[in-house]
Amino acid sequence: MTTPEFDDLLDAVRRAFVDASGTPVPTEVRLLDAAEARAVLGDRVAVAVTDPAVLADLVPDRGTTAAVAVAGDDRSALVHTTGEVTGAPSAVAAAVEAATAHLAATVRRLRGEAAVLDALHSTGRELTAQLDIDRIVQDATDAATKATGAEFGAFFYNLVDELGESYTLYTISGVPRETFERFPMPRNTDVFSPTFDGAGTVRSPDITKDPRFGRNAPYHGMPAGHLPVCSYLAVSVISPTSEDVLGGFFFGHSEPDRFTPRHEYLAEGIAAYSAIALDNARLYERERTLASELSRSMLPVAPPTPGLDVVTRYLPAVTGSKVGGDWFDVIALPSGATAFVIGDVVGHGVTAATVMGQVRTAIRCYALLELPPSEVLRNVSALTGGLFGESFVTCFYAVHRADEGTLTYANAGHLPAILVRPDGGPEQIGEALAQPLGVGSRFPQRSTGFPPGADLVLYTDGLVESRTRDLTLGVQWLLAGIPAVLAAADLGTAWDKLVAELTLGRHDDDIALIHVRHRGEDPA
Amino acid sequence: MAETDATGNTLGDAASSAGTVALDHHEGTAVLRVEGALDLALAPKLRQLAERAARLEPAVLVIDLTGVTFLASAGMAELVRAHRGRTVSAPLRVVATGRITLRPLELTRLTDELAIYPSLAEALAAG
Repeated sequence: MTTPEFDDLLDAVRRAFVDASGTPVPTEVRLLDAAEARAVLGDRVAVAVTDPAVLADLVPDRGTTAAVAVAGDDRSALVHTTGEVTGAPSAVAAAVEAATAHLAATVRRLRGEAAVLDALHSTGRELTAQLDIDRIVQDATDAATKATGAEFGAFFYNLVDELGESYTLYTISGVPRETFERFPMPRNTDVFSPTFDGAGTVRSPDITKDPRFGRNAPYHGMPAGHLPVCSYLAVSVISPTSEDVLGGFFFGHSEPDRFTPRHEYLAEGIAAYSAIALDNARLYERERTLASELSRSMLPVAPPTPGLDVVTRYLPAVTGSKVGGDWFDVIALPSGATAFVIGDVVGHGVTAATVMGQVRTAIRCYALLELPPSEVLRNVSALTGGLFGESFVTCFYAVHRADEGTLTYANAGHLPAILVRPDGGPEQIGEALAQPLGVGSRFPQRSTGFPPGADLVLYTDGLVESRTRDLTLGVQWLLAGIPAVLAAADLGTAWDKLVAELTLGRHDDDIALIHVRHRGEDPA
Repeated sequence: MAETDATGNTLGDAASSAGTVALDHHEGTAVLRVEGALDLALAPKLRQLAERAARLEPAVLVIDLTGVTFLASAGMAELVRAHRGRTVSAPLRVVATGRITLRPLELTRLTDELAIYPSLAEALAAG
């Protein structure tokens, strides 16, 4: 009802306030706020207000003799008088109500439908934008429990662990989780099996009167202490890609006949969105795990390195799907020398991991030919450019000759290494020597002494760089942390601590690390 | 999720800070202005717009990194691509200064081959 229509209605109602001779009596109009309108009118369009207590609240100390409340789209008002009126106002109210009740009911129903569709749509949008399984299932359970008007709702869902074993988890909404903690997982009883088998929605006005209820040992119904369930609604969640049953939504209410076909429709809608969201999350997780597994499987086991303590770390990115590009290698060369390699392939996921695997193998091959570092990198750069087109791989390559006490290295666009000479502080070596592999063609090499008591640290940018901390600052922090690592009784533990400090426990890029300590007491 | 929206945000990574690339083309000069973190998430956007810029056949392409808050190697790889890739049609000038953007370019010696200017005005004024 638009504003002019509402004014017309008010006028019509005011004209009905007449005395016994048919003469209009003076009336006043008071607007009702939303709460007052709800209290006085409820769902009705017009009503005669006769309750003295209500009138005393709305128009105090006036000696009101007659009053009619009317509702419009966006506002409501009370027409009232202190004059002598006949019964006409209440008759008008009744007539208006009779004429518009059907229309008002239709509007209410359509609004209800629109609200339901809105709710379903926004729930779907939120669910399908998620990739975190825990959040998807909890949000879906909360939304569905609210939408169905259930006293409580639960979502039981199946996951498969890394060994291929299936296990079931659940979320609860409407009641504390402890309410269900004492009970076992729902089994494939006659009541539950249609949902876990994906055989269709089960909706019952009173599940305790259902022929399928109470037929299975040991409980023959609900276990003692279970929240009372009378109205029951259960919907399967079925993967749109594999058609596997991913889980089921269960809703309960202690009173009978609470779930309507509309509730069923809503629950099925949310279940369908949940299935899409869970599928997405699983596929995403699978991709992430695959890249991470691939990278890990290609990591070397450091060979025995007489006279050297070697600590290595590889930490795949913990956030996003950025796993895959970093690697390290420790290669025992035929001459007795040891080569140390650290590198980073631009890109992420399975592609970066496979490029990394090939680059690592190429470096190994040239290294085993005992080519000097600058030749190893030059050959690999030419190979990389040819194999992968436009590639960008940074790499630090260093060879330690124990017999000469030297370290010879070349650096393809990688971060400098950290060298700590006996009785010296940490210094950076090999900074900005050459362009990355696949980009550069000349890789000059340098040599330095690496006597017993010296330490060498090679690392990738994930350790020092993040969106919130630039490289220069990150490297300063790393250098500042080195003395404590060197002084520690156990290098591995000390590195784990420093890595956690530098990344604040959250690295959104891969991290690879090699620490070489020249122990020197073993004969080479 | 490599899929990015118009602002370069990844759908799957809430930590992703918003990054943008804007293309401005007039009088034969194409300028790509990059803002935010130029990393794996934003690099495909830079590549897409650099290729679009190349199709306009400008006399000069400028990539302005003044607004970049983090230059990852994925971003540097795109600079190399824009400089020597197959779709290159115009000489590339890069605006980079300071330790956020210039320092990584120095460490990878991309400064050897990229024409780098300290400001957009100087990049545009260069002959």
